[in-house]
Amino acid sequence: MSSSQTVLRMEGISKAFAGVVVLREAGLEAHGGEAIALMGANGAGKSTLMNILGGNVAADRGRISINGAEVAIRSAREAILRGIAFVHQELAMLPTLTVAENIFIDDLPTAGLFISTADMRRRSRELMGRLGSKISPESRVEELSIGDRQLVEIARALRHQPRIIIFDEPTSSLTEPERQRLFQVIGGLKAEGVLIIYITHFLDEIFYICERVTVMRNGETVWSSPLAQVDAAKVVHLMLGVSAGEGRVREPITSQGEPLLRISGLRRAGALKNINFEIRAGEIVGLWGLLGSGRTELLRSLVGLDPTDSGTIFWKGKTEPGLVKTTPRQLHREVGFVTEDRRGEGVHLPLSIRDNLTLPNLKSLLNGFHLIDAGRERELANKMMGRLRVKASGQDQSVGTLSGGNQQKIVFGRWLAANPRLFLLDEPTRGLDVSAKSEIMNLIVDLANQGCGVLLVSSELEELIRVCDRYLVMNRGSLINELPGSASAGELMAAIADVGDENGSWS
Amino acid sequence: MKELSIKRDQMDRFGSRLRRKFFPHSDSSNSWAGRVPNVLTAAGLVKWGLRLVLLVGMLVLIDIYAPRFFRYQNLVNILLQASLLGLMTIGMTVVMIAGGIDLSLPANMAIGAVLGAMYMRSGGNWMISCFIMVAVGLVIGLVNGVAVSRLKMIPFVVTLAMMTVLSGSAVWLTNSLSISQIADSFLSLFEAAPIFGIPVTIWAAASVTVAATVVMRSTRFGRWAYAVGINASAARVAGVPVERVVLISYVISGLMAGLTSILLTARLGSASANMGNDGMVLDIVSACVVGGVSIYGGAGRIPGAMFGAVLITVLSNAMNLVGVSYYLSLIIKGAVIIGFIAIEGRKENANE
Repeated sequence: MSSSQTVLRMEGISKAFAGVVVLREAGLEAHGGEAIALMGANGAGKSTLMNILGGNVAADRGRISINGAEVAIRSAREAILRGIAFVHQELAMLPTLTVAENIFIDDLPTAGLFISTADMRRRSRELMGRLGSKISPESRVEELSIGDRQLVEIARALRHQPRIIIFDEPTSSLTEPERQRLFQVIGGLKAEGVLIIYITHFLDEIFYICERVTVMRNGETVWSSPLAQVDAAKVVHLMLGVSAGEGRVREPITSQGEPLLRISGLRRAGALKNINFEIRAGEIVGLWGLLGSGRTELLRSLVGLDPTDSGTIFWKGKTEPGLVKTTPRQLHREVGFVTEDRRGEGVHLPLSIRDNLTLPNLKSLLNGFHLIDAGRERELANKMMGRLRVKASGQDQSVGTLSGGNQQKIVFGRWLAANPRLFLLDEPTRGLDVSAKSEIMNLIVDLANQGCGVLLVSSELEELIRVCDRYLVMNRGSLINELPGSASAGELMAAIADVGDENGSWS
Repeated sequence: MKELSIKRDQMDRFGSRLRRKFFPHSDSSNSWAGRVPNVLTAAGLVKWGLRLVLLVGMLVLIDIYAPRFFRYQNLVNILLQASLLGLMTIGMTVVMIAGGIDLSLPANMAIGAVLGAMYMRSGGNWMISCFIMVAVGLVIGLVNGVAVSRLKMIPFVVTLAMMTVLSGSAVWLTNSLSISQIADSFLSLFEAAPIFGIPVTIWAAASVTVAATVVMRSTRFGRWAYAVGINASAARVAGVPVERVVLISYVISGLMAGLTSILLTARLGSASANMGNDGMVLDIVSACVVGGVSIYGGAGRIPGAMFGAVLITVLSNAMNLVGVSYYLSLIIKGAVIIGFIAIEGRKENANE
């Protein structure tokens, strides 16, 4: 462990994948004891640059030097030997093993033939202690929260005495206290002289914990400076090349449309308590609440992906006037549903764009022999790709190779073909860059303008505020309030804060 | 330190394998994209070129060491064997595409054959006997399907247990003796060569291949099966009736077992408990793997699986002609499967 201050310099890094240039003379400079924020929209090249530093990808050109000495990093192994550690966004852990085993899995301490459990436990406790955590080395990782698992992952990285730690969107699945604790941990590491490279989509975070910022756009480094020289607006401007529009996409309306859906007395033990609400045609209803308030559970229950104990769904019938009683399974066939887990549940990654788009619509493509008509299938895919402006080489491209924003368009496109009158959207912009977010928000407003009802869940308040006509406020599985579309961010936050200390119990 | 790093490297690879288990076909050449219109992608060429080279190489070696192989009688014989193996391979392929596995296929085939033959022995009509064989296959497929789709049991365990139950029952019913009192009109089924001198069995396998190809490619069930095999929860969100698709895949597998039991009983002129011996499961799985069907689900095509069935049959036949012992042939076939899985694995690594 060198006591001298680490200086990392990456210069003139270029990389092309199959002819597509992803990095053009990119670089960064950072110092031990500091955190540097690496910012950029999706596809700006941050991940590739970090994968080059981590030895996962070889650069075509460019130099990396640590403390002035040029280093070649040809493999992940070499990166570790040079003191570079990576804390990934998706944690790679062995859930059925203990904390200590996870930390030492690649180098279990032995005494003779056997693993020296006591030694491993002691060293794990030391490492966890360094992170200010008292998690027992004997706990199984599967029993830990996401935040605690992340600490284990950091402890694992610390075992190799790293001089440089890369954090890739570490806070995206953390609760607020866990996030605060992570910031403390990062602060502690900085105090020990470790150099932190911090990648995030959350602007506010970098002002908490970073000293420097490097902004990338289209594979180039467009800005590098101490953080004090910029503000949030400037960073957004640098990332996008334009300033982001923060105003409302559509002014709030009071829908005069016919009621589409009415929910009455929906319950599920441990998740939902007596839910009642109504959605009208043409309105965007924001379902606002903190993580774990039951938002996702409510949406999933409506379409039968989660079970319910009791409750009735009334749905606008096709022929009959007014609302008709229906089942979640039936409702699933008639609404557009976007899950929060795009890659896990939203799309079939290895399948082509066409196959993804037509999957829920195959019935409409059957010919006289009950076989799928290939011509009409292509036509439908073409129509949807055009309507949603999907950027791809063609409908045969596999969805796994698309950007997050384009993947999400495919998810929407799946349902658009059937012209549903109601959309249930759970975090439709999660993990998207700012411009893709805007596109999705515009699409949602378009749908409402065409007369669809929308029930929208989002963790990002500023996003809800741009489009919603009405808010349903949720807390601990109950709808506790309803606010008009004109409500401000402060009012919305107050609405869920009001009952924050009340000791609600599950019915 | 060096040793440590190697272990670390291995762990990384382990991690990437795990990831592949969950996102097994992140390679677009395995996807539907490569499936219908552009079979001639570079990856596809390598994949199938390799198999053709293997087949041709094998034929050349056979020509040198076992020239008897190319006699007309032997070639027809091979096609007959490949047809029977192929029918069961189709059943297995459908189940595998939907993300499962059916180890009970040969045992299912054997018990159907035994029950049908017992009916004929007792003087029953041969047509009703055919019906019995198919019905037994369907019912067992249904039981497997219900266990996996509704009761959420693990396919490997359920069908392994089913295999044991069925083989046990077949031995118990027959006292390990073969039943050879088979109706003559039933036997003539097999030798019958209605068109161009090609036996009915081959025609049957060919038509089932075409039908299954169309089903997997152009029906809702086929599309759903791929979607379920790739990612069942995403399929459910997209409105696919996941349970029904899984159930049907096992029923189709049972149907294939039933059809095979008719044709194999007719060919052997008898039915016995060891018709569906353990080596047959190996042959079926080999045919699938060699034919490009992914054991992780969601990828593979019926014609590929049939190609695999032919290749495995040629391999077995050639080893037999050269005089390789049964046990050595098992070793070689096992090695071929491992080799193919290794090649597929390498290819995926290269694409990562």
